Formats: sequence, C-alpha cells, structure tokens
Amino acid sequence: MKLSRSDKGALVAFMLPAILMMLMFFVIPVIYVVAVSFMKWNGISAPAFNDIRNFALLFKDKAFTRSVINNVIWALVAGFIQVPLAMVMAILLSNKPKGWKFFRTVYFFPQVISGIALATLWRAIYSADNGLLNGLLRVIGLGDLARDWLGDIHTAFPSVLIYWVFYVGYYMVIMMADISTIDSSYYEAATIDGASRFQQAIYITIPLIKKTSLLTCVTLASVMGLRQFEQVYMLTNGQPANTTSTIVLYMYKKMQDANYGMASASAVILIIVGVAFIVTIRKIFEGREHD
Amino acid sequence: MKKLQRLMAVVLSAGLLLTACGGGAQTPAQGGGSQAAEAASGSAGGEAAPAQEGEIVINFPCIWVGTDSKAAYMAKLVEEFNAENAGSIRVEIEEQTDYQAYRDKIRTTITTGDAPDLCILDTTFDIRAYAESGKFMDLTPYLNDGWGADFTDGALDAWSVDGNTFILPFESAIFPLVYNKEILAEAGWDHFPATYDEFFEMAEDVKAAGYNVMGQMAGDNAWSSMLWYSLIVEAIGGKDVYANGLEDPAFVEAAEVLKRMYDYTFDGAVSATASDVNGHFIGRDTAVYLNGPWWIANLYKEDNAVDGELLADVCDVASNPTYAGGKGTSDGLVTTVQGFLAAAKQDDPAKEAAVVKFLQYISDPERVSEWALDSGAMFFIKYTPSPDTNDISKKFTELANNAGYTVLHVNGAFPTAFSTEFPAAVSALVLDQVDAQGFVDQLQTAIDNAQ
Amino acid sequence: MTKEANMTHPAVKVLLGVLKWILIVFFAVYTLFPLIWLVISSLKTNFEFLAGSPFALPAVPQWQNYVNALAVAGLGRMLLNSVFVGVVATLFNVIVASMSAYCISRFRFAGREKIFVLFTAGILVPLNALMVPYFVIINRLGLYNTYGGMILLYCAIGIPISTFLIRGLMDSIPMEVEEAAYIDGCGFFGRFFHVILPLSRTGIVTAATFEFLTCWNEFVFANLIISSEKLRTIQVGIRYFTNQFSTDYVSMYAAIVISIIPSILGYIFFQEQIISGMTSGAVKG
Repeated sequence: MKLSRSDKGALVAFMLPAILMMLMFFVIPVIYVVAVSFMKWNGISAPAFNDIRNFALLFKDKAFTRSVINNVIWALVAGFIQVPLAMVMAILLSNKPKGWKFFRTVYFFPQVISGIALATLWRAIYSADNGLLNGLLRVIGLGDLARDWLGDIHTAFPSVLIYWVFYVGYYMVIMMADISTIDSSYYEAATIDGASRFQQAIYITIPLIKKTSLLTCVTLASVMGLRQFEQVYMLTNGQPANTTSTIVLYMYKKMQDANYGMASASAVILIIVGVAFIVTIRKIFEGREHD
Repeated sequence: MKKLQRLMAVVLSAGLLLTACGGGAQTPAQGGGSQAAEAASGSAGGEAAPAQEGEIVINFPCIWVGTDSKAAYMAKLVEEFNAENAGSIRVEIEEQTDYQAYRDKIRTTITTGDAPDLCILDTTFDIRAYAESGKFMDLTPYLNDGWGADFTDGALDAWSVDGNTFILPFESAIFPLVYNKEILAEAGWDHFPATYDEFFEMAEDVKAAGYNVMGQMAGDNAWSSMLWYSLIVEAIGGKDVYANGLEDPAFVEAAEVLKRMYDYTFDGAVSATASDVNGHFIGRDTAVYLNGPWWIANLYKEDNAVDGELLADVCDVASNPTYAGGKGTSDGLVTTVQGFLAAAKQDDPAKEAAVVKFLQYISDPERVSEWALDSGAMFFIKYTPSPDTNDISKKFTELANNAGYTVLHVNGAFPTAFSTEFPAAVSALVLDQVDAQGFVDQLQTAIDNAQ
Repeated sequence: MTKEANMTHPAVKVLLGVLKWILIVFFAVYTLFPLIWLVISSLKTNFEFLAGSPFALPAVPQWQNYVNALAVAGLGRMLLNSVFVGVVATLFNVIVASMSAYCISRFRFAGREKIFVLFTAGILVPLNALMVPYFVIINRLGLYNTYGGMILLYCAIGIPISTFLIRGLMDSIPMEVEEAAYIDGCGFFGRFFHVILPLSRTGIVTAATFEFLTCWNEFVFANLIISSEKLRTIQVGIRYFTNQFSTDYVSMYAAIVISIIPSILGYIFFQEQIISGMTSGAVKG
C-alpha cells in the first residue's frame, strides 16, 4: 500500500503504542539479560565480567544440552503431531456430526484448568503405586509393561510429552473458525463430482487453511513447546536424572541458585534457538506454496 | 576484545542503571504503607487503613499465614502488637503462601534494592552473602543490649559475620525418626535399631511382613531423600563432616547407603513427591517417617485417625542409628534453621527502632513458648515448654536438649545449587546412571558452576 | 478430483465412520476426565486423597471444602479481580496489537522487517528471566501493587503474540479489497476501521482468547507485583492452601473448581459470539 504524507503520521501513531511497550518490556529487559549473560552475578554482590564462560559452562552441562534437545523435540511434536491432530478434529467437527457443539466446548475445557490440577492428576495416572495406567495394563493382560512411568529414564520424557499432545482444543477452535469461512460452493461442487469427505478434506480444506490458521497453529504450538516450563516443573521437576528438563526449567533452577549469569545465558540461547525454529517453519510453509 | 568489553560496560551500565537507582528509600515495596497503600486504596476501594500522620508502617511479606501451623498465633501477635502501638507503629502482613513464589519475590526485591522492611529467609538463600551485602540492618547493638541472651547458645554466632548479626536465626528444626510401633512389632521388633546394620536387618523383616520401610522420593525437591542422606552423612562423618566440603569420603559412602534404602521403599519412589511419602505413612503401610517438627501436628489430626485411634498413639520417636566405623555418635542430631528473620537497612532511626521493637516482641520467650505449643514449631529462643505439649513434641525437645552435637542437614550446609541438583543426582544414582562417586561429583559440579 | 471417489467401498465408509466416532469420543473422555476427577477429588478428605486410591470415590462428600475455599481464602474478590484485569488487559492488548499488525501487514516502510523480527523474538523471551527488570519497571512507574501495573504488564507481554496472530490473518486479506476502498477515497483510519478490522475478526478473537487465558493463568508476576490481598487474582488465591511444608489438596481442588466454573460458563456463554466473531470475516476463495 502506498503511503500519503498524512498517512505517515497516522502510521507512526498506530505503531507507537506497540513500539513503546516492546521497548519497555522486551528490548530493554532483553538487553539487560544479554548483558548479565556475560557476567558472574549472584544478584546481591557486584557483578563481574565473565567473558563467555557462562555459555561455555552451559554447553558442558549435560542437563542443559538435554534441555535444548527436549525443547526441540517438544516443538516438533507440538507442531507436527499435536496440530495435525487438532486439524483432524477440526475437520471432523466442521462436518457437524451429532453433538458437535458439545464436543467443541468440551475439548476446550483443559485450557482453563489450572496446571497444578492437571499435573497432580497425571502424576496419579502414571504412578507406579496405584496408578490408572498400570491398572489398565494389568486388566488387559499387559501387566509386564507396568512401571514407574515418570521415574523411568526411558519413559519419563515420552510420558510427559504424550499426555499433553492430546489437549488440542485451542488449536482446534482456531482452525474450525477458519474452516467455516471456506465458501460452501467448493464442497457442493466436489460432492457433485462424487468426492468423499476424506478427499474434500485433502483437496479443499487443508490447502485453504494451510497458510492461515494451520501456519498460525504450527507456529504457536512450536513456540509453546520451546517455552515449556509449567508442565514439567509440576509433573517431574525435570527428573529423573534431568531427562525431562527444558530450557526454561533449567533457567529457573539457575535463578534459584542465584546464578543469574548462567540463567541469562540460557535465556539468550532459547531466544536464538527459537527464532531459528520459527524462521524455518515459515520457510517450510512458504516453500510449499510454489507446488 | 577491548572493544567488546567497552561495549559490554556501556550496555551493562545502562541495564543496571535501572537496578542501581532502586536503592532510594521512596520505593513502594519499601515504603510499604505510604505510596503503596495509597495507590491500592485509590484503585481497590480501600486498603486496611491509610497511613496516619506519624505512624510508622512496617511491611512484612510473611509465609507464616494461611494453612501454616504458625499462622494463627502469628496473626494474634501482629494484632496485639498493632493494638499496643496504635497510632505509632503498624505492622502490615503481606500474605504469602507458596514458598517457592515467596522466595522468588524476596530474591527479586532484594536484588533490585527494594527489600521489604521484614522478611523470612531460609537456607536456600546464601545467608552469608546476604549478611555481607550491607542491605540488612545490623542487629548487633540491640542483641548485645540483653536481647541476645534470649537466643539459644551458639545460634547467633553460627550465622554472624565478623561478630555482627544481620540476619537472625529464628525458627529451628530437628530431624529425629518417627516410626510406627505396630508395624515394627508385626515384623518382630520391639525396639528401634541402634545401628544401621541393625536397621537393614529390621528393614528385611519389615519388608517380609509386607510393609514399606521408609518413604523415599526423588521427585519434586527430593526432600525426604535429602533428609535421609543428611542423617546417613552425620552417622558416617560425625560432627565435622562438612569441614572439607564434599571431599569427605562420608558423602560417597552415604550415597551407597541411600541407594540401598531405595530397595525398601514403596514402588515409584523415583518419581514420588512429599505427598506420596506422607500419604504412605498416614496410610500406615510404611514403618519409618522422617521430617521436621512441623509435621507432628498431622500425627494428632482426627482426619488421620483409623477407628478412632490417632496415628500418634502407634508412633514413637527414635534418634539416628549409628554407623559401624562411622564418626557419628548416638547423641548427634541433624538440625537446620527453618526460618531466618531479616530486616532491611533503614535510614530513619525511628523506623529502625520500630522494626527492632517488633522483632523483640515476637521473640519474647513467653510468647515463643505459647507459639511453640500452638504450632508444634521449634525456635532458637530459650523458653520453657508448656506442660500441655504433646508427647511426640516432648520427645523431640528432649532429643534436642540432650544432643551432644548438632549437624546441619545438607540443604543448609551447602550452597543452594546442591539442593537444586540433588533430585537429578539422586535419581541418576538410583537408576544406575552414575555410581556413588559420580553422584557426589555431580553435586560438586553444580556447586562449582554457581560460584 | 478423480472419479475414484465413487469406488469407495461401503465397508471402508463404515470403517471410517466408526473411526471418526472413536476419535471424537476418545477426545471427549480425555478432556472431560480431568474435570470430573477434579470435582471428585475436591469432595474427599485429605486422608482419603493422600492415603487412598486417587481414583476412588469419597465415602462422604466433603462440601466443607467448598465452604473453606470460599470463606477462608476469599476467592470471590479474587475472581472479580481476575475478570477485571483479564478483560481490561485483553482489550488494550488487542487494540494496540491490531494497530501495529495493520501497519506491519499492509505497508512497506523502513525497518518493517526488523520490527517484525523483533516481535517474533519477543514471543520467545522466557518471561521468568525478566523478573528483576519487570519489577524495577513497574516499581519505577509507581505501579507496584496496583491494577494498573498488572494491566500494563499483561497487556505488554502479550503484544508480540497478539501482533503475530492478527498480522497472520491480515496478511491473508487480499490487497484488492483495501485498494478498492482507497480508490473510493477511504483514508488510513477509514480503511483500518471499516475494511481491515471487520475482516480480521478471526485473528483478533484468537488473539484475545489467548491473551485472556494468559492473564487468567498467570501467577508469577501476579504474586511479584501485588502485595495487597484486595488486588490479588485467582491464581494467587488457589495457592492459599499451600504452605511451606504441605498442601491441603482437597481444599485447593475445591478452590480450583470454583475458579474454573466462571471461565467455563463464560466460554459457553460467549462461545457463539466468539465463534461467530471468528467466522463472520471474509469468505475464502
């Protein structure tokens, strides 16, 4: 859009509130975080310049590298399993089966349940002691598989990840709204051509939401995956043996240690990893456009 | 490199400028009553009461509120103090119930120079660095003026910096063992083991009788396992075990004993939390329980009675067993400072006096005695226990009075990084990811990284 | 589209239909289960909760837990605070974000790309790392312990994500629509209010829902920058039953149930408005 001179003033006026808030609550604080990431500082004594030692320590710490890997896995699972699941449900409910309004409401519920409650419930489900999952396995004759799901080095992280993957309500609602804006004549024509619902989804719905709500959801879900903190903090506190740790949890623990240098350095790494991730996702979606 | 350093200096000075100018006395968090209360009453439609002319308001974010056992008496203390000093001093409590969030808030406000007038610290704070920081009130002159005599022997010295006290050790805790007599009897034991060898014999018998021996947990903050580790470390290393940090071989040996204990706990201890440990003991399927005096109240709760029989009726108290070849003796006791009181440095002498007056008020031996009775908590104040104290509490006090020496639990003896890393280290140990030496090394690395 | 569709075997059709219902019901059970469990747990005694099976029913429903939650913790006031802060912060947030999203989406100006990268990076900043600077900023502005402080902070921390969501939608509105209005003599503001804003309702509603949920669930800063009980929000309230040593779980669960009810009712009540807000935008084609 071309800008007239008066528009330029309007543009500045429109951008100003957001820019001011960004400066105050993101740019300046992040400059502070970057500065502290090169410091040795316990929050109470005078900070001392520490070169890049905080970063060196981070990459020497297995708990941190594991956290980065976990976050990347989490973001991928969120973007490429959770969101597609949400999409499937959005398409199913968009066909308005019986009771679809009820289901749409119910799927959204977990969004408003406090994380503490979800964490205690899932601890109880995964518990080795009298957990629901082990009970179910025993009932169907797979008792050999019963274990301390959150206390086993191999199953802890998948368990944390899997329970959360199926809470798709928020993304589903976003995509349902988008799907409902698709011109119904497309589907009518396809139906006359004899296309099944499945084919209509593949050839009409998905291409039409790909660059809008699907991209939005994939990005959003990946970001949530990269910023993951509360779930792990309450469910496992990153254990056993740091196998379920995430970057933000790692950072939070460093803050508890009053090790502000390493805490800030891990925040800086998260921002770098995250921006790279988002840029890649956008590239993937924009690249496909030329098909 | 030079250029980078100069750039860093500029950026930092800009960033820290925000922080640095936080020292002023007019900051809301510190001003407590004045600005903050006015702002609040303006928008919230009335705080408790606006600051009156000449009234000193003391701002105290406090965790002894809500469902804490010390809450009821604390509220009474504050109310009475405010009534006695009506018009001149008012203590305003900011209720804080979530301890981790409280720590975050206190750490943040102290860092930014907005420390509240009074706050409670625990050993997860680097008490020495805080005492040396110059941000807290020097209480030495007041303590030397007679007040110090109210404190138990050695308590103040242990936490003073160059002979000066900035941060007061206030609430104490000891960690004897509580055991279920009925379960032991069923396993054929009429007494509690005096040595760890005997303890593991008992453990075999208890396990054979179908019970768990003790609750371990590596989930959450691994609190129970950390306490057990402290007890074993004391039994093996004796009273000077912390003299050389984690160098002492007792730490490696204790790790092996701790790992062995995981064979005698309930299923899923690696992911368990305090509520699992507590649930098993009050569910009466676990023989031995380890926690501080604040937990005693649960033994007397009607809620936890079975067929009208209180849990306390089937429980007794035992001291830490001794270890064959270990340096610890049977009268050694693991303790900690559960709560320090810290007062921010004040520019106004009248306010300083008011804060000290309140501190002296709540540490008065008679009031502390009532407080201890009401809450089950223990304090670093010399007081005569009330005759109405329950049996288990009496036994705790007896052990404390007869202790030959005391040793801090590991949580208090090492920097916070030790405790933060402990859950990871203990779960790695139990799951065979590291050996006992690797466990100690992991904790040492965590401490080194934080320094 | 091929004619193969006609050849879909009836058995496959039935199978797909069954699969569809398995999925729908599975997700419904999966999402309802926590809620039901929460309500049941909130009616237990602490002894039942800690020492019994976590999935057993209470022997006698303990309605007392709800009395505790309402009377002792004072949840009513906190719920109102949460609603007030959440609504006002969300309102400001989407207004500011739509304005900036409009500029970034529809105009080419110097520094546009840099600004967008800045906003994207903002989404990823772990806010826990910013406790110290945020406390200083709110305090220096004289907003410590005020609704204003909370509203400003919540509004600001949601700007990057809201801008991102709204811009995504605005990008998909064809340029021709706006150009037509431009030729008709519609100015900068006119185009924004009469053309773009109505067409981006989906994005705005998505952003608003996200922002409101963020405000509703936020705890760390609600505790950090507020000291007065009168101003506290519901997330602080449900932690009333926690103390240094233990948690009164059943009362906490009662508090959580109470805190959920208004949000669920609100969602059901506003759902039609929200959804229709989302759908009344442009028709895809």
